[in-house]
Amino acid sequence: MKYIVEVRGERHEVEVGPDGVVFNGEHITASLTDIPGSPVRQVTIGDAVHRVIARRGAHRGEYTVLLNGHRFTVEALDARARAIRDLTAATSGVAGPAPLVAPMPGMIVRVSVAPGDVVVAGQGLIVMEAMKMENELRAAGPGTVTAVRVIAGTAVQKGAILVELS
Amino acid sequence: MRTTSLTDRLVISKLLVANRGEIALRVIRACRELGIASVAVYSDADARALHVREADEAVNIGPAPAAQSYLVGERILDAARRTGADAVHPGYGFLSEREWFARAVREAGLIWVGPPAEAIAAMGSKTAARTLAVAAGVPVVPGTTSALRDAVEAREVAETFGYPVLLKAAAGGGGKGMRVVHSADELHDALASAQREALNAFGDDAVYVEKYIDGPRHVEIQVLGDTHGTMLHLGERECSVQRRHQKMIEEAPSIAVTPELRARMGATAVAAARAAGYVNAGTCEFLLDRNGNYYFLEMNTRIQVEHPVTELVTGIDLVQWQIRIAGGERLPFVQELIVPRGWAIECRITSEDFQNGFLPSTGRITSLHIPSGPGVRWDGGIEVGSDVGLFYDPMLAKLIVYAGTRDAAIDRMHRALLELQIEGVETSREFHLRMMEDAEFRSGDITIQWLEAKLPALSAILPSANDLRAAVIAAALMAERDRNAVRAARPDVSTPDGATAWHRAARVEGLRTA
Repeated sequence: MKYIVEVRGERHEVEVGPDGVVFNGEHITASLTDIPGSPVRQVTIGDAVHRVIARRGAHRGEYTVLLNGHRFTVEALDARARAIRDLTAATSGVAGPAPLVAPMPGMIVRVSVAPGDVVVAGQGLIVMEAMKMENELRAAGPGTVTAVRVIAGTAVQKGAILVELS
Repeated sequence: MRTTSLTDRLVISKLLVANRGEIALRVIRACRELGIASVAVYSDADARALHVREADEAVNIGPAPAAQSYLVGERILDAARRTGADAVHPGYGFLSEREWFARAVREAGLIWVGPPAEAIAAMGSKTAARTLAVAAGVPVVPGTTSALRDAVEAREVAETFGYPVLLKAAAGGGGKGMRVVHSADELHDALASAQREALNAFGDDAVYVEKYIDGPRHVEIQVLGDTHGTMLHLGERECSVQRRHQKMIEEAPSIAVTPELRARMGATAVAAARAAGYVNAGTCEFLLDRNGNYYFLEMNTRIQVEHPVTELVTGIDLVQWQIRIAGGERLPFVQELIVPRGWAIECRITSEDFQNGFLPSTGRITSLHIPSGPGVRWDGGIEVGSDVGLFYDPMLAKLIVYAGTRDAAIDRMHRALLELQIEGVETSREFHLRMMEDAEFRSGDITIQWLEAKLPALSAILPSANDLRAAVIAAALMAERDRNAVRAARPDVSTPDGATAWHRAARVEGLRTA
């Protein structure tokens, strides 16, 4: 099966066969072996051995790959699934930017925006305290604040919606 | 040199550890090696924690919030009475530097494994410690402690300690209202602009002047004193790699300290400790400038997080000696023979996600592979199944390595970090890997401001093309594996009889992520 693997905004084609892969037109022997009782998988590419952890993401084909001291967020889909996901991503785009959610349970220390504010990517929206440290939560992309769901002093759970954007 | 064997009697027969996590385990291990029974205390959140299971006895002291458990002195004393403990070791943090608790332990007829309450009080506030240090002839950063009236006063003060000087807004922060002044000619204009900037930024134009420390490093001296009048220093630790004033990486010795400077700083630290009537293990923190001038900051009246690097280069078990000193033993060491040998580095492994601006990460540890092999030490408080929550400090463990030279120690730490694998929470592991790979860190030419300036570049480092290629291929192999698992789970596709547990698990996984 041929996969389109997206990592760091770049797409690569990898054809997986019974004894290896074709990557950039080159046939390479490759295999993936589970290590019982461990999240580690042994990946061999040619004669090179890699100790890999591949955490599955929320959707099919999404993986967080830990390899040689680096962490990669990867999406590996076959051509058909890739096309479908590109279409859904394009249509869901009109729904606007994702709301800001609490990445961890904690306490809201400061709210830096109000409904109607136009924010730019990377702008600090909320300061929340967790583990005795203050953490600034920033806008992932540009948008307009449509609602602020918390005030300073609110205790929130992981995943709680804090600020809605359009 | 006299050493005491295991069979020698100590006054302490049962010790209560008033702490949690890795330091509680560290103290419990020392107790076991000394033949002393240990008592753990724990909050509801820590009922299944490693330090509880490793102790000989354990007492619940309340709900998860520290203010209702680990910080309640009376509950800890009750636990000591109930178990018949005769000593209390406070670890670091929590109640370790509370004068009242040290006093309460003593008044309860128990042995406090730490300095006398009076010494904690003497070093307790920065201003009190500064006054005491000045009286003992210990150098402190020279400067004014009240706002400057005008340029004339600024000049008079500056001339008492020489240029360059730093003008600093009293209400300051973020570099606003700060000016480095290199000569008297610049002072008038610099003061006017610093005051203007301070007024605009903070609504307060009060400005202080102090000696400008060029390229400051955080270098601290470990001291160890017994109740018989011996006070020794065990050399320095370099802790300049800091983020938001939190130490991230510590080393012993320091690349910036010569044997001559070590002897001088050590003597200064011993003088400060003596002036405070100090006994047991303590640490004097200094700023060290590029020219080898050093200035006392404060004294930590407890065991430090980073004590293992000193243990590795001196061969002296600090926690065991804390307990032995508290039991009245005499230190058998001779100052001249305490010379650091080799190099030790410690990385604090915290539940903070480096790739996400060090955002705290919570969850349950699902998998843990601890590095081993030559020269590797792991002081941890976690295991598979440990819950990492928001109640306590994010430090999970300390990874410490020892080698003959600094370069070899850095290479060894890099190797150990590659072996380390923690699943369930994100950690600072990748940060430490990038640090060990960094040319500036490896050169040792760093200051306490270095890391904050370096972080954006450090988090933008790209993996090699080879690693990227391997990750892409690994992801494709995983996708193929998961795809086959989904197909195998479909009823219309024939599956081999007697599917293994792996097949069943894979089907469930495949369905879950489909």
